Amino acid sequence: MAEPELKDKVEELINDHEVLLFMKGTPEQPRCGFSMRVVGVLDSMGVEYAALDVLPALEPLRDATGQIADWRTFPQLYVKGELVGGCDIVEEMAESGELAELLGAEQPAPDELSAKQEPQADPQQSPPMRIENSQRTR
Amino acid sequence: MAIAPAEVRLLIEAALPGAKVEVVDETGTQDHLRAMVTAPQFEGLSRIDQHRLVKKAVQARFDDGSIHALSVETSVPG
Repeated sequence: MAEPELKDKVEELINDHEVLLFMKGTPEQPRCGFSMRVVGVLDSMGVEYAALDVLPALEPLRDATGQIADWRTFPQLYVKGELVGGCDIVEEMAESGELAELLGAEQPAPDELSAKQEPQADPQQSPPMRIENSQRTR
Repeated sequence: MAIAPAEVRLLIEAALPGAKVEVVDETGTQDHLRAMVTAPQFEGLSRIDQHRLVKKAVQARFDDGSIHALSVETSVPG
């Protein structure tokens, strides 16, 4: 069970920010490949968003979002108080144009959607990012 | 700890009778899995709710650490 106070705080955060991303690490320094990909999508949309690093309180936050939104894995993207999803759903919705519509943003060019995720990487050379392994707790 | 893709598939099939499920091991380490699920139960549900159903089926294996990451793709039978 999450402490009631934390759950209330998280709910408040969700309601106070139009676009809120719970992620591992920060947008500048993501510490999980999936979080990094969602940051890439949001950046390509050019929208403002708030980001919360869940790593300092991972398990309590899992419990809190589990109670609030029935979702315990991170990243989690909330728009207008509603959970949109994790990396899979966000990427799917970005490609289909649903996310741009939801965010009131312009749909970026397809190459921009993928290019911005790994700005300096050569896709032929770089292995997929798997640094979330280092965050394993069990 | 790790979990075989076949076991994840069974868990999802048990939770969603009639579903077509394919699970692949994305990294060869059995902890980053991708599940493609086509299920009649998804009809009329939002994506997030479709994913919730799949996640729920395997939640216990997330909680005990057997699965570290599971990518999910859902669709309704055509």
